Parts: sequence; structure tokens; C-alpha cells
Amino acid sequence: MRITLKVNGQPRQFDADPDLPLLWALRDFLGLKGAKYGCGIAACGACTVHVNGAARRACVVPVGSIGDAEVTTIEGLGGKHPVQQAWLEAQVPQCGYCQAGQIMQAAALLEQTPKPTPEEIRVGMNGVMCRCGTYPRIEAAVRRAAELMSTKGEG
Amino acid sequence: MVTRREFVLSSGALAVAVSLPLGACRAVDDDFGPGFLTAYLEVAPDGRVTLHSPTTEMGQGTHTGHAVIIADELGVDLERVNVVTAEPADPFRRGGQMGSGGSWGVRYWYEPLRKASAQAREVLLAAAGVQWGVAPSELVLSRGEVVHEATRRRVGIGTLVAAASQLPVPDSPPLRPKSELRYTGRNVPRVDLGPKIRGEPVFSSDVERSGMVYACARLSPVFGAEVDGFDRDSAKRVPGVLDVVPIPGGAAVVAAHTWAAMRGAEALAIRFKPTPHDRLDSATISRQMRAGLGPDAKTIKAREDGDLQAAMKAARRVVEADYEVPYLAHAPMEPWNCTVEFNAESVLHIWAPVQTQDRNRNAAAAAAGMAPEKVRLHTTLLGGGFGRRLGSDGIAAAVLTAKAVKRPVKFFWRREDEFGQGWYRPAQVARMKAALDADGRVTGLHVRTAGPALSASFSPQGLPAGQIDGSSVQTIRESRYKPAAFHVEWVRVDQPVPMAPWRSVGASQNGYFLECFVDEVARAAGRDPYELRRELLAHDARALNVIDTAARSAGWGRSLPEGRARGMAFVESYGSLCAEVAEVSLKDGRPFVHRVVCALDCGSIVLPDGVRSQVEGGIVQGLSAALGEAVNIANGGADNRNFDTYPLLRMTQAPEKIEAIIIESGEAMGGVGEPSLPPIAPAVVNALLALTGKATRQLPISNQGFS
Repeated sequence: MRITLKVNGQPRQFDADPDLPLLWALRDFLGLKGAKYGCGIAACGACTVHVNGAARRACVVPVGSIGDAEVTTIEGLGGKHPVQQAWLEAQVPQCGYCQAGQIMQAAALLEQTPKPTPEEIRVGMNGVMCRCGTYPRIEAAVRRAAELMSTKGEG
Repeated sequence: MVTRREFVLSSGALAVAVSLPLGACRAVDDDFGPGFLTAYLEVAPDGRVTLHSPTTEMGQGTHTGHAVIIADELGVDLERVNVVTAEPADPFRRGGQMGSGGSWGVRYWYEPLRKASAQAREVLLAAAGVQWGVAPSELVLSRGEVVHEATRRRVGIGTLVAAASQLPVPDSPPLRPKSELRYTGRNVPRVDLGPKIRGEPVFSSDVERSGMVYACARLSPVFGAEVDGFDRDSAKRVPGVLDVVPIPGGAAVVAAHTWAAMRGAEALAIRFKPTPHDRLDSATISRQMRAGLGPDAKTIKAREDGDLQAAMKAARRVVEADYEVPYLAHAPMEPWNCTVEFNAESVLHIWAPVQTQDRNRNAAAAAAGMAPEKVRLHTTLLGGGFGRRLGSDGIAAAVLTAKAVKRPVKFFWRREDEFGQGWYRPAQVARMKAALDADGRVTGLHVRTAGPALSASFSPQGLPAGQIDGSSVQTIRESRYKPAAFHVEWVRVDQPVPMAPWRSVGASQNGYFLECFVDEVARAAGRDPYELRRELLAHDARALNVIDTAARSAGWGRSLPEGRARGMAFVESYGSLCAEVAEVSLKDGRPFVHRVVCALDCGSIVLPDGVRSQVEGGIVQGLSAALGEAVNIANGGADNRNFDTYPLLRMTQAPEKIEAIIIESGEAMGGVGEPSLPPIAPAVVNALLALTGKATRQLPISNQGFS
């Protein structure tokens, strides 16, 4: 069937089965490679994107269930988002494969909880796995991003 | 084959070969003489510098390390240096193979890269000297320009390239003094992180080719089982599925997009032939390995220092303990995939995330029935390697699939096959014995390890009977501990489970065996485990400094909050000495690590933050394995095949604090990608021993009554 998705502010149309997971719609149908396949069962979080601002595991979200909700991927974050800036400052990524998911999860977390406690950061980021072991830096970078965002808000 | 001459002509730039002698290695290329490993440093007419390197960037930061070394010695801004993984070619090989592993990336290349950069600098200075009629000694190369201070003349190095490439390259160029190095030893941003934080398509799975189709493997659940037959139509009924292609050990379901290929692979009705190990399980493997600890087992000696029999006979007390570790999966976050395209000129192009370029190119060529020279292997950035991408088990099937469908193919495994196809860190058991004298000193150590031989499985040549498997005794055989007698032996217990090196290889299990045993011995003797280590290392100032640094920084001996304890471990691997102290408590009955202090003596360093990053990563990965990882073998295959049943460490379980203390002892540069991993498991287990009095003699910890 004809699917219309609002992705990164743009309406995009393509023909697909409504059960097609959002991840593969983004990667194979729309050419947006930022969200990654890691497990296919919402266990690793490498595919995390925003649907109406909330972090969702795109590998288990059927494309037909999204309706007119806004989908945002790492490509739509703009490259200069405070979370991305903080990620560079803290030199977080190693292999980098999970990091789009980490960044999208962090951006959604800070949208909801602008000043998270260390425990809120750890719990909030718990669903996105990293095999290289960048968790200490992720925690530091989320704290830094919260600072950057609050400064921006005040300015 | 890329020869030096061709390479210079094709790039139109100044190219300097980076060479280092390789001792016993065989000659690989007449153009370069025998026994040289070579990379190319290239300065382009626009002043950009490119290193064509045989190293693979899989997150460990090697390419940044290389860029820093070049930028400093040559005298250019870091942003002007690009490091790319070369296609496999003779100049890039070591012992006939091109690949990355063994924490060699920076330590192996540091000196040759400095030399090549200095050679390039000297010929550029000489070219400017000729142009201006001044002595090269009056010139400096700084920030990409040759400068003559006296006359205030300056010229970009790009414009000198044509003239410089006609000049002879000096054999022994001077190296810059430390005071002139702008980046080495400083915190430099990694060169590969910008694209990674923007989600740019840098991985193998992101590669797209025109007309490409997607192929999902359906592979045998039993290790090494062959296909008996399959019903093509069962998969073709899934919309989007185009074809089903037989491949070794299974079938490839080809479709218009990834999801259709996955669903087709799930729907495919396929039968596999029986194997002798169809009922193999973890309990059987464990029993067979433990039989290797008995008196009738055939041992191979690895170390025989001193008279162990005398030490045991004279001992006031003998302490004994058996340990066991399971198979571990590498679990890189990017499941195996590659993209294959046969082009019109009968050249096979492959984009793949591999650590061993030759092994993969040769496997691809054999599958295609082509000469290896007709295969162009493009190594992408890797979504994790950890040793899993040292193999070539995924490449032939991809080539066969592309050959059958006559279109570019993205061939991939689902996560379940990334876990299920094996090539694990070996399972292993150990029996440890220590002789103690009346004063509680260790007078003799006896270590026997038993298990499958990594090299028999992974090395293309296998392992002849009677020979030792180095990784099965790694770090124990070479241990700096010096009791009066120290014997190490190994018993081979073959299994049909495929194995591959896993980050830190044999050090990951042997470090656990030896270091946990040291603490058990200390406890039996009523001694402080740190003091016992100091005694065993009394002859070795470098090692003492490492454990002293860790102990001091961790506040060893100082009181801790109620319910918390410290554990220490010291393991040397890949040329670096590493001691860690972990502070552990039980949170709802589960071990929780509050703090890890790591002292790493890796000789000297190029990227301090890069080293810290690797130390943190090694500790987190090692902790992940120690706390909860094990491949459960059942019915001849892996029973746990995704992250719901093979749990990796998550953020809430990560240490609250990791403090890395880097010791620049000035000794030979050691590796940093692996050495921080082995000590964390024993440090945590030793903390649990101190906390609860309970020794953990089998990993993972989660299976030992702590969860």
C-alpha cells in the first residue's frame, strides 16, 4: 500500500507492506542509513529514532502504525544539536555503530528530563547497548549536553 | 598487485614507502626487498596528506594515532591528514597477510611512520632549497608550508610535490625533537568521530550500489552442518523475495529489500544433514575439559622453572582450585554483512568490515573462481571487530550469491547468525596448585589448563598434535611472578565449536585463572593479596610500580563504606602491564562495581585520550563477560542467539567511575586495545571473595549464586 511518512520535516511517500518495520523503511526505502540494525527485537537500541519526540526502537515499529506522527532520525538532528556537540567534546564513540541510537535516546531523554540525575541518565540510557564500552563517556556527555541545553534556553 | 611504481603514477603525488624490517618474515615483493612491511604516505599537489595503511579502523582509534604521528613529524595540520585502509597488496602484508589485530596498530607503526614522514619532510625541504637557492638547513616545514625565515619566503608543500618526487629519499632523516610535536601526547579529537555522530553512512551495512538486491542467510543451527535440501517456493511466497541461492552451510534468500529477505529466510523450509555432534551441549564440553585435569590426560609442557616436585614435597601447605570459563561471543554491534558487485571488466568489488584483508580476498577469489588480483576489497569502518572480523567465514557465500543472481548484492546475517555461527573465545578449565612454606610464602606454582585449541580452529594450518596452543597458556607461561618453582602445562580437548581470537585472546581467561588463584592463596595463608603480589614480583621494579600505582590510587587498605570491598588483579598482555583495583558491593544480591582504578604501563603513548578510551572500553567489555556472558551450547549449536538471552552489559551495570592512570615508563611501546580487559574479571571476583568469603571459580558470575 501507499505509505506517507513525515520524516525529518519532509513528507515521504513509498509503496510498502504496512507491517514493514520503520527501520527498513528508513534504510532501504528512504536511503536514511543513520539508524542501525542490531538485533531486530528491540533489545539493543541501535535503531532508536524519535516518533513525535519519543524514543522508539524502529526495528519493531510497523510503518503502517505511524500515521501522521513526526519521525526524526539522526540525520534530522542537524549535526550541531547539543547532544551531538557534547558527544564530540567527550569523544564518546569508538566503533560508532550504536552511537546514532545513543544520541537519539539521549536527545529524547533530555527533552523529557532537562536536568537528569546520574541515576536518571543511567536508567534513561539503559536500553541502548554499546559493545565497545563507551558508557562512562555517554554518561558524561549526557550531563554536558544538559548543561549546553540549559545555557541555550537561558540565552 | 600494486607496485610502488604503479602507485606513484596513479596517484600523481609524492609517495614515500613506510617500511620496517620484519626479521624472519619471508620476502613478499621483489620491489621492496625481503621482509618489509610497507605502507604509503602520499602528499598530493593540493597539500593533502594520505596514509594508505594496512590497519583497520574498528573504533580503537588507530587511524587518529597514525594521523597524529604524520602531522607532527611532517609538519602539517592534523586536518590535512587522511588515513585510509588500503586494498590488500604485497607492500601492506606481514608474513604474507594483511590484517589488524594484537594491539599492534600504533606501537608497530610509530617508528616507521615517523621515519617516512621525516623522509617526506626532508625531500620537500630539499625541493624548496633548490627552488630558492638556499641550503635546506635554513628552512623549516611548519603547518603545511616550507618557510625561509631570513627572506620571509613561504610555499605550500603541495606545490613542491612534483620537484620533491624527483629527489633521493634520505635513509636516516633526523626526527623532530619533542618540543616541536604539536599533537603527540596531547588530547586530540579523533578523526573519525564527526561522521559517526552525524549518522553518516560510513559502515559496510550502509553501502548502496545501483541495482542492488538484499540477501539474508539462512544457516545451519548446528556447527558445520551441511544442507540436505530446501524448498525454494517456501521462501518465494514471501512478497519481495526474488530467489534462493544455495551457499555453504545454508541458503541465501534474495529480495528487493532487507525485511523481505529476512522474512523469506525465516519462511524457508530447509533441512540439514546430521553431524556427529548433533547432541553436543555445554555440560558435555565441561565434563570433557575437566577430564583433561585428571592424571591420565596427555599434557604438553609450557613452562618448567625450578623443581616443582621438591617444592610440593617441602610445602607446609598446598592450596588447590579448579576454574572454568565458557565460550564467549564477540557480539560486535554490526552483524556480519558485505556488498558484492561484479563489474563489466570482470573485476569483483567487495565492501566489507574485515580485520584480515588477504584472508577475505582470497576466500572471495576462490568462491568466484577468479584470481585474487581481480578482487578489489574495500575495507569500510567496522561496527566493532574484537577479533570476530579476523575470519572470512561470511565472504564466500556473499560472492556465490552475487554470482548466481548477477546483480550487486548486499549479503547479511541476522543477529541470530552472528551469535550462532560460532568463532567464539574458547571455553577452558584450569587446575591451580600452590605450595606454601611455613611463613606463607609461595614456593611453587603448578598450572594446568585444558580445553580446545584456538589455533587448531582458527589458523588455516591448524595445530599439529603434540604442539602447544599458545593462547591456552598465554600470560601464565610468560607471567612475571617468580616463585622458586613454576610449571605450566596444557591438555588439548578438541571440540567441534569454531573459535577465533576474542579481545585479549588467551589473556581473557588465563588472567582470571591465575589472578583469582593468587587471592585464594593469599586468603588461605592469611595474607594481604596485594602484599603477596609484591612478594611474587619483588625482583621486578617495573611490575611493582604498576601494582603500587594502582593500589595507592585506589586507596588499598583504607576503609570503605559497609558492604563494599576491593579486589586487585595484575595481568600483562600485548606488551603492556596492567593492574586494576575494583570496588564492589552487592546491589539486590548482584555485584555492582562502583569504581575501577587502572594503572597501565604501555611504555609510551601517542594519544592520551585514545588510550583512556581504550582502557575504559576494555574494562566495560571485560566486566560484561565476567558478569553475564556465556554461549550456551545445546543440540550442537548456540542456544542463545540474540541479546535477550546473551546479555551484554548495560549502562546501569557499568562502573560508576573508571580512573585510568597511564604510566609512560619509557619501555618499548605496548598495546592499549586489549591489556585493560583481562584484569577486570579477577579484580571483581577477588573483591567478591573479600566481601563474601566466597570464591567464584566459574564464569560468568551471574551463574554463581550472585544474581
